[in-house]
Amino acid sequence: MPKRVTMVAEIIGDKCTGCRLCEQVCATVAITMRPRADDEIGPGKNIAVMHDEHCYNIQSCLEICPDEAIIMRELEEPFEVQVDTSSVDQDKLKQMCRQAKFGVSTVVCPCTGTTAGELAAAVLHGASTPDELSRMTGVRTGCSELCLQPMFDILAADGHTEMQRNPKTGFQWYGRAGDLYDQVQPDGSFTEEIEDMFSIYKPKRELTELVEAVRARRTKKDIA
Amino acid sequence: MNTLALDRFVKIPPPPFKQLLNGDKPAELIPERSADLPGMMALPVRELIPHMPKPIWSQNAEFGETDPEVIRQATRKKLENIDWSKIKEGRRVHLIANPHGFSLMGEGYVAMLEEIQAYVTEHRKADVRVKIAESMGPLANPDWIKTFRLQERLGDIVNISQIGPGKKIDTVLGDQYVCKKLFTAPYFIHTHVTEPRETYFHRMVDRLLKPFGMSYVRLETRSAYHFGFGPRTGQMIAKAVFESAFIQQRYVASVVLNTVSEGVASVDADNDLYALDKRMTKEILWNYGPLMRLLGAIDEVIPILDGHGCFVYNFGGGISFSNLLYADTDFLDLDNLALSATSGKFGRDGLTMGNTEALKAVVINYMAGGVPIVPYLNDMQSVHIATEIEARLLENDPSLSYIRDCSIVHNGLSEAVAAAQDMTGCENLFAFDYTPGVFRVNAPMAKILLDAAPAAVETVRTTLMPKWLRQRNIH
Repeated sequence: MPKRVTMVAEIIGDKCTGCRLCEQVCATVAITMRPRADDEIGPGKNIAVMHDEHCYNIQSCLEICPDEAIIMRELEEPFEVQVDTSSVDQDKLKQMCRQAKFGVSTVVCPCTGTTAGELAAAVLHGASTPDELSRMTGVRTGCSELCLQPMFDILAADGHTEMQRNPKTGFQWYGRAGDLYDQVQPDGSFTEEIEDMFSIYKPKRELTELVEAVRARRTKKDIA
Repeated sequence: MNTLALDRFVKIPPPPFKQLLNGDKPAELIPERSADLPGMMALPVRELIPHMPKPIWSQNAEFGETDPEVIRQATRKKLENIDWSKIKEGRRVHLIANPHGFSLMGEGYVAMLEEIQAYVTEHRKADVRVKIAESMGPLANPDWIKTFRLQERLGDIVNISQIGPGKKIDTVLGDQYVCKKLFTAPYFIHTHVTEPRETYFHRMVDRLLKPFGMSYVRLETRSAYHFGFGPRTGQMIAKAVFESAFIQQRYVASVVLNTVSEGVASVDADNDLYALDKRMTKEILWNYGPLMRLLGAIDEVIPILDGHGCFVYNFGGGISFSNLLYADTDFLDLDNLALSATSGKFGRDGLTMGNTEALKAVVINYMAGGVPIVPYLNDMQSVHIATEIEARLLENDPSLSYIRDCSIVHNGLSEAVAAAQDMTGCENLFAFDYTPGVFRVNAPMAKILLDAAPAAVETVRTTLMPKWLRQRNIH
């Protein structure tokens, strides 16, 4: 599903201090900095520059700006962002999703409706970082909270584990957080330490029942 | 209780809308509230669960004392029993607050924070700074800072955003990422309100630890909580972060407002977060569990969202709309995987859960954005937005750009409700407008709740409560 962009951010030049927070937080890297011209009134030596074509109405810049130097402007004509999934190797796409433990049509970003298959297609089109995935598919341009883990997992499925942030001082993302599946031993069990520390959670039971549920669902789909 | 007796119930008005820093003035833009609809009444929650403890403090004088001084006194009494010796004189302490506290308990929560700050400053000669962690929803904390004049009352208070700088920490579950600025002081104090929002995530297991897997951590760990664990194991991440050396070096104590539908039942505090959690879990299961199961007894209903929260985070009678949205599932039962993929016709892959089939339509009078809800709305028979102004506000939200595609926009709340009732044949209305202590419902809905309540309470008391406690090793 495409991301529909209805608004873009606008920098208020005479309020911008050039603190770079907006640049460091933008998931689509739509903001850069330039020196403030001599005839431009305002605090700070630098000023933020918005690249409208990459602003997908995430509003993280609006949230983090300490100086009320950003406003949102409604677009007369909203535009949509989506990756073409049909022109990539479908077997490779499925394999990447499988490796990341997602179905091709699993929605991994409920804000934009982006699927795991769309993320894989973007990687096959050349995306190699989370911000490039966001630019190509629109993923993570809504609440920005939920979908980082699937993005890291799909990127890792194509070997992208050591990535460079843009800018280097940015904190749009750091790295993949550990999850339950990392703890599963080759025989399907969990270590004694995990079993002891999380005994009330019964991780082994959880995993077994999850696997059974997924199998049952697939069988149901096959029958249908 | 018969229907005639319903007429005796008080008409408690909803709290007025607040003006927001982003310029929204919902009080001016949204003239009609659900309480104004013909036939709507305020059904006291106490009529449904008479065992609810009497609150020591409430935001509404109908239910108890409104002077926050009682919260200060109760807080101070508990703080006297805490071991503060870990805090070295003159050092900095972060007192971590949460927007849910301001949203749900308002001045009561602020009074608790003020008292903790004053007490620790006085007794440890410490520099206590309040930091507000972030829950989902991008613009809430600056609003709370202004609404409660927190800069004047609590000093240099800072909103710590989930999108801000992070710090990688080592945990038994691998790398996790906390919000760096929450933990730059040598010590911190954890605060909470016990209302059991998001039960479908925490499942009332280590419930008071949840912020360590959510509002105190960066997006990476929050995403792992949602996608990297099963329906009963998300809290493992919260426990792993809390147990990490990084957190344990800094953690001092926890202080909570123990809430009920009508207000604050008590204040509690402990150095041992697990001991505190067990005490609170018992209270929460008994004070909220019967209400959750009662909502599960509703066959058909049209909810009206009429408050500042986004969708599931709109509250009514002290509980969140999520309790109605997922009411067909007992998330407190740990034998229940409650995985959406296995449930009902609304089951789907991935993150989102299935709505209860009892929801025949949804009416949105006013709510904020910030949470992806279109997947839920697509499963509804019909979605009605009361005004064009609200529809425009929502479609410009980063998470909701498709909301108009699945909604009908009306010229006012009355028209929206009438259309929802006509299209679905359902007459039962249940509004979430942030009024504490009462469910805002119409007469047919009130009758259903009153008729079903005794059985719901009895089932919880005799069957579910023992099971829920046993599953959590609480005796």
